[in-house]
Amino acid sequence: MRWAILAALPIGLLLLALYPMVATGYGIQFMLQLFMWVALAQSWNLISGLTGYVSFGHVAFFGTGAYGAAILVSKHAWHWVPASLMGGVAAVVLALIIGYPCLRLKGPYFAIAMLGLNEVMRVLVSYFEGLTGGGSGLSLPTLHASRQVYYGMGLAALAITGVAHILITSRVGLRFMTIREDEIAAEAMGINTARYKLFAFLLSAFVPGVVGGLYARDQGYIEPISVFPLLTTVTMIVMALFGGKGTIWGPVLGAVTLFIFQELVWARFLYLHQVLFGAIIVVVVLLMPKGILGILQERYRLPRWV
Amino acid sequence: MRDGHILEVRDVTKRFGGVRAVHRCSFALAPGKIYGLIGPNGSGKTTLFNCITGLTQRDEGEIHFKEERIDGLRPYQVAHRGIGRTFQIIRVFPELTALENLLVVTREAFDSARRKAMDLLRFVTLDRLQNEYAGNLSYGQQKLLEFVRVLMTDPELILLDEPAAGVNRTLLNELLAAITRLRDQGKTILIVEHDMKVVMALCEQVFVLDHGEKIAEGPPAAIQADERVIEAYFGR
Amino acid sequence: MNVAITPTMIGQVIISGLLAGALYSMVALGLALIYGVMRVINIAHGTLLMLGAYTTFWWFRLLGINPYLSLLVALPLMFLLGMLLQRTLVTRVVDAPELSSLLLTFGISIALVNVAQLAFTSDVRSVEFLTGAFLVGPFALSKSRLVSFAFAVVITVLAFWFLQKTKLGKAIRATSQSSEVAMVCGINVQRIHLYAFGIASALAAAGGSLVAVIVAIQPEMGTVYTFKSFLVIVLGGAGNYPGALLGGMLLGLVEQLSSLFLTTQVSEAVAYVLLVLVLLLRPTGLLGGRAR
Repeated sequence: MRWAILAALPIGLLLLALYPMVATGYGIQFMLQLFMWVALAQSWNLISGLTGYVSFGHVAFFGTGAYGAAILVSKHAWHWVPASLMGGVAAVVLALIIGYPCLRLKGPYFAIAMLGLNEVMRVLVSYFEGLTGGGSGLSLPTLHASRQVYYGMGLAALAITGVAHILITSRVGLRFMTIREDEIAAEAMGINTARYKLFAFLLSAFVPGVVGGLYARDQGYIEPISVFPLLTTVTMIVMALFGGKGTIWGPVLGAVTLFIFQELVWARFLYLHQVLFGAIIVVVVLLMPKGILGILQERYRLPRWV
Repeated sequence: MRDGHILEVRDVTKRFGGVRAVHRCSFALAPGKIYGLIGPNGSGKTTLFNCITGLTQRDEGEIHFKEERIDGLRPYQVAHRGIGRTFQIIRVFPELTALENLLVVTREAFDSARRKAMDLLRFVTLDRLQNEYAGNLSYGQQKLLEFVRVLMTDPELILLDEPAAGVNRTLLNELLAAITRLRDQGKTILIVEHDMKVVMALCEQVFVLDHGEKIAEGPPAAIQADERVIEAYFGR
Repeated sequence: MNVAITPTMIGQVIISGLLAGALYSMVALGLALIYGVMRVINIAHGTLLMLGAYTTFWWFRLLGINPYLSLLVALPLMFLLGMLLQRTLVTRVVDAPELSSLLLTFGISIALVNVAQLAFTSDVRSVEFLTGAFLVGPFALSKSRLVSFAFAVVITVLAFWFLQKTKLGKAIRATSQSSEVAMVCGINVQRIHLYAFGIASALAAAGGSLVAVIVAIQPEMGTVYTFKSFLVIVLGGAGNYPGALLGGMLLGLVEQLSSLFLTTQVSEAVAYVLLVLVLLLRPTGLLGGRAR
């Protein structure tokens, strides 16, 4: 069984790599966004699924990366690829600055602090108009790079899932989980929880930053409300939950399923979309908080590499 | 070691708001013995454990472990120096398997860690449950798991918080035998316990706490007869 | 902008701060109740406020009588809605990990906001009722803010009287301290949850009704009030009901004072920055609530 999956993976990746050659513009956009959500959901999973610290403002890293990259591209004529990577770096710097004090907070306080942080970043960006264009947004020089962004997003999703695999199948990931299970016991058993928490937090911030930069390039224009919305945070959370937080493929499954569903519904029921999404959130939270893979893993004692 | 003591607690005081949980408590442990820490409920025993292991920061006093001052250290640092503990309420990692519970606490190379973990699981006959989520184990099994988890890092001083609580007779005898064996290997053990039979059977020296203060110290037989101890437990 | 700041300006700002603060206190008290009694973080709190505002708007639009009288409708209506939400949804995330309550209340929030968008459209509305200001000495007191302040004070005082003196109120406070002990004392904790959420919704709606006469009304108006309520709770200490009063006043004052020294854009940010700062520096609140 395991070998079947191991064989399917490179084949799948090959197909995805070749797809742009036969795809329509819409198809590339669709897949590109799909990859983006996979990357976001998986990143959130690394901090919140594993350590249990609920980052309820995770889109702050996305927005920071978007603005970081956009500024480099539009004001300093950087190429968008290194600019996106710098977006990731900017996000990690932000995580470093607030991570150390924030991670000392207990559950609900940490969540609210992250929520507040997101708003602070949004307002900060609006404020420094000279740098960011403020409320009128920031435009990047026109460039049709959908195909390249497709690969960028795909690589980001692949990389973070790879990191998730390495972590969750190793003792490092287990140590992250002990923080979620019983932080006091973990600390008493010799695990430096502060260091592990921060590590998870920094890891979880990088890819959203990069992906934010790629998003900025793809859209060509960003503004504060478009890159710091709470809805994005909630969406990535619900995707990770639906598929199974704390597992490797759960966030991937959740992102793919919910994104496809979203596209189908959005196209048809524009007005009901948000209400339906609200309903999905409620269903996931109340009926399946462990997610599909989480439930399966428990019931059938699936190994951790799932 | 200072005067040959492996652990020295000197005038440790801990207050919670207006409540004195531990007051000017002092004692010393010589290596390779089993000690008991008893006292009525609320006398500060677990708080003392927490102070020693760094979970709580004491307000006054000093704690020395093998010549080094350890009060003020973070719990994981205390653990690294060779002190292990179990908890009054079992704290295994429920969504990790039994084996993972043991592997996660050591930094040893994976293979040797795994061997050691399996040995320990076999020792408490939990080896066939290695891939079972710890949260699904029975109370007794979790208790045993928590006990061997402490042993994974080979601590020199082991603090056991009510190891006999809720444990049936057969299991208890196994546990007591295990603890004795550990002592024979040269480890020092401090047990908080309410079950007097366990204390009498196992401990070479007993400290009695009441309302945060040490009121008596000595071999179990002497403690049993001590008036202050009787008063603390039965009459005031 | 080097305008000299006179004592009068400071006085004006303090008064404006207190006027606004009472409103914040009242709304935040509702949030405090929900968290205190049920350990639920209610992101939908501002949405409930928004519904209260719309109730007042339609009351005024359709009936043409004094919008403040709409409180008589808004309060019971939202009390019932609150109880309904609690009974059907919120009860399942009581004492649950924070992620569950955050997500659930967020889900409720966007569902309600979207229903409002569908029903009322996103057009910005307003209630033109009390305009102008009273002049007391050198200070100008906006009429609508003053009246809203008065109502907010009355309602908050009533709420506190209820909590302190009535049997149900005491049961609520007992449950906030410890739901296990409350149960042992024979308190029907499920019903307490029901009433607490209902009361909290009514308080939020009252805030909305009062604010409807002052600010623009639109479906997304609630978000900023949710954040401000969080800030008030964090300032006053979670689970600390009198703390919510202090926190609200403090927020009102700080906001107005900052508008004196900082541009409007930045003073908007004050609430958020303060929230993060206070959480980092003193999460138990200035009055030291329980660090739960």
